Amino acid sequence: MVTLFRHRSLPKIQGGYAISELIVSTSIFCSISLGLLMGFTSLERNYAATSDFSLNHADEMRISDYMAMDLRRAIAIQAARNDTTIFIPAYYDQTGTPQTPTLDGQGGVFYGASGTSVRVHYYLMAGTIYRQQDSAPALPLAVHVQDFVFDVTDAGKVVTTHITFNPTFNSSGASAAATTATAFYNTTLLRNSRTDIQSSVY
Amino acid sequence: MRRQHSTKAGSVLVWTVVVIAILSLIAVETLRLVTAKYQNALQTSTWQEALLAAESGIDLAIVELRKSLYPAPNHAWEGWNNPPGNEVTGYELTTVPNAGLDGTPMTIETNVDAPSQLIDPTNWWQYYRIRTVGTIPITGPARASDNPQDTKLRRLSLHWERFTNGILTPHLLTAPQVSRRIEAIVRPVSSFDQAIMSVGVVDLTNQNIVVDSYDSSDSTKSTNGLYDPAKRQQNGDIATDGQLIEAGNAQIYGDVATNAGTVSGAANITGVERTDFYQEPIPVGAPSWSSWNASPSSVTGTTTITASATKGSAASRYVLTSVSLSGSKTLTVAGNPDGSQTYVEIYVTGDISVSGTGQIVVQPGVTATIYFAGNVDITGNGVLNSNNQPGDLMLYGIQPPTTSSEHVNFGGNSQITASIYAPGHDVTVNGGGTNGHVYGSIVGKTVTMTGVSNLHYDERLGSTGVINNYKIVSWFEDNR
Repeated sequence: MVTLFRHRSLPKIQGGYAISELIVSTSIFCSISLGLLMGFTSLERNYAATSDFSLNHADEMRISDYMAMDLRRAIAIQAARNDTTIFIPAYYDQTGTPQTPTLDGQGGVFYGASGTSVRVHYYLMAGTIYRQQDSAPALPLAVHVQDFVFDVTDAGKVVTTHITFNPTFNSSGASAAATTATAFYNTTLLRNSRTDIQSSVY
Repeated sequence: MRRQHSTKAGSVLVWTVVVIAILSLIAVETLRLVTAKYQNALQTSTWQEALLAAESGIDLAIVELRKSLYPAPNHAWEGWNNPPGNEVTGYELTTVPNAGLDGTPMTIETNVDAPSQLIDPTNWWQYYRIRTVGTIPITGPARASDNPQDTKLRRLSLHWERFTNGILTPHLLTAPQVSRRIEAIVRPVSSFDQAIMSVGVVDLTNQNIVVDSYDSSDSTKSTNGLYDPAKRQQNGDIATDGQLIEAGNAQIYGDVATNAGTVSGAANITGVERTDFYQEPIPVGAPSWSSWNASPSSVTGTTTITASATKGSAASRYVLTSVSLSGSKTLTVAGNPDGSQTYVEIYVTGDISVSGTGQIVVQPGVTATIYFAGNVDITGNGVLNSNNQPGDLMLYGIQPPTTSSEHVNFGGNSQITASIYAPGHDVTVNGGGTNGHVYGSIVGKTVTMTGVSNLHYDERLGSTGVINNYKIVSWFEDNR
């Protein structure tokens, strides 16, 4: 009997223990799962934000480098926010071959016909920043850049390009300080004498 | 009990494997992304460095061009190749370690030529075309960016090189690299590019001095080719390689520039003050003529020498040991009676001295160039340039030994129309009173102006005289 009683009482103890164990283990499992879920979610958000930042930064660099290249060889500039036009020498002929320059009689030179130049237009439209050279199809330099702003400050011999975007690191939106931190500046020394203002070469 | 333990262990193992697998996937994807971005950043950095390499090639070429301006032997273009080609002046291939990229070899390929289209017909100055290619190897795999616009902008040579000898000729590569190509046009710069240029101190001690400019070749900036205060221009620039300009509150219609120095008495300067100026003046060497007029050999009394219609001919050249005119004695440089263009070059191996009412007279139509090795002292109205054009009377001081001190003194002259280039001489212009005027340009070791003398710089001088430097007038990156 004692043995039987003991045998009968054991399952009761074990059963009770199993319920509490189930509750505890479920709680632990839920806690761990919740922690893992939160961790993975955080990791995923962090990954997405980092990837987004990285892509945006690459976009900034690309726009800046494109503009710097054109500004270095610019002979005239029309600067405005999100819309800048740069005129460069007509270095290539219609077949794409470089031309020998001609003296302009005023201490300078020009390529192609006198007074000609190539127009390079940078502009932001419908969340895409384009670069268009003369009448050629516009090339998208960066897409999904609704929050991009590029400013070109014309200081005569140097031009400063300022590109910003709003990072998405936190759900409540980027702070002003964080936005400032993403500003990308590039000051370019213009190599050519300008035709639109009185400015000498370096 | 063993089976239960076994089941729990299996569950943990599965969970562990799943978690590790997920973490590994995240890590791999992150690593892939980071590696791509790292590679992109490295390629971008190398691309930027290649531009520096290409621009260094332009500097190398300008250095050789400047060397060629010095008296012989100037060692210009030594070590440069001259491969067959149309009008090729020099070609060089240099490889130097790039300190910014941990000693990565940086190759600079420079090609200088002188196309006939780039000769200025007004003064026959040759402009030069400099084409350079800067090349730097890319570290890491030959992998292009995932953005096609990056590829169009930063043209990397992963398997094929686009440029060879400055010409667009693709060829197979053994390792990836990046090359950038620049074409620059440089033009000669005159010795008389400023109103006043000094190696050392510029001292304008009197506050009534006016320094301004005009252009004798432009009727809107001069009247009948002469200075007109109503058409005054603001290019009367003053510069020094030294640290001090004593402007003395002079009225300067132009810019002033020092070599990290200061400008005192700068209240009446209309232009800008700069501190980044340095331009080593090219020293003047003694003429190396093979023949010239045998007589006269010196001038001590009234003398007439004749200019020639042929520039650079023996008939237009004279070598004098000295010129010493006192009392009312004159040295007349005679041209054609009809005033047509003639030329004369005079090399004075000693001193030039004109005092009293003595005078050097340059007749109409004569363009005179005088080289002097000694001192120059001219007082009174000692120089009469009948053309009233500073480009028609140019005085060049031959560089004295560093141990000797030479000078050029103009004193008590009411009007001087001449250009003076003497970077080894101390130049002083004094006296002249309120009507004292200097039309031209002054370059000296030091320059001092006292006693109210006005200086009116003729901008036309910027395209005449000896070449002192080369300046970039066109720059283009060939991004094919």
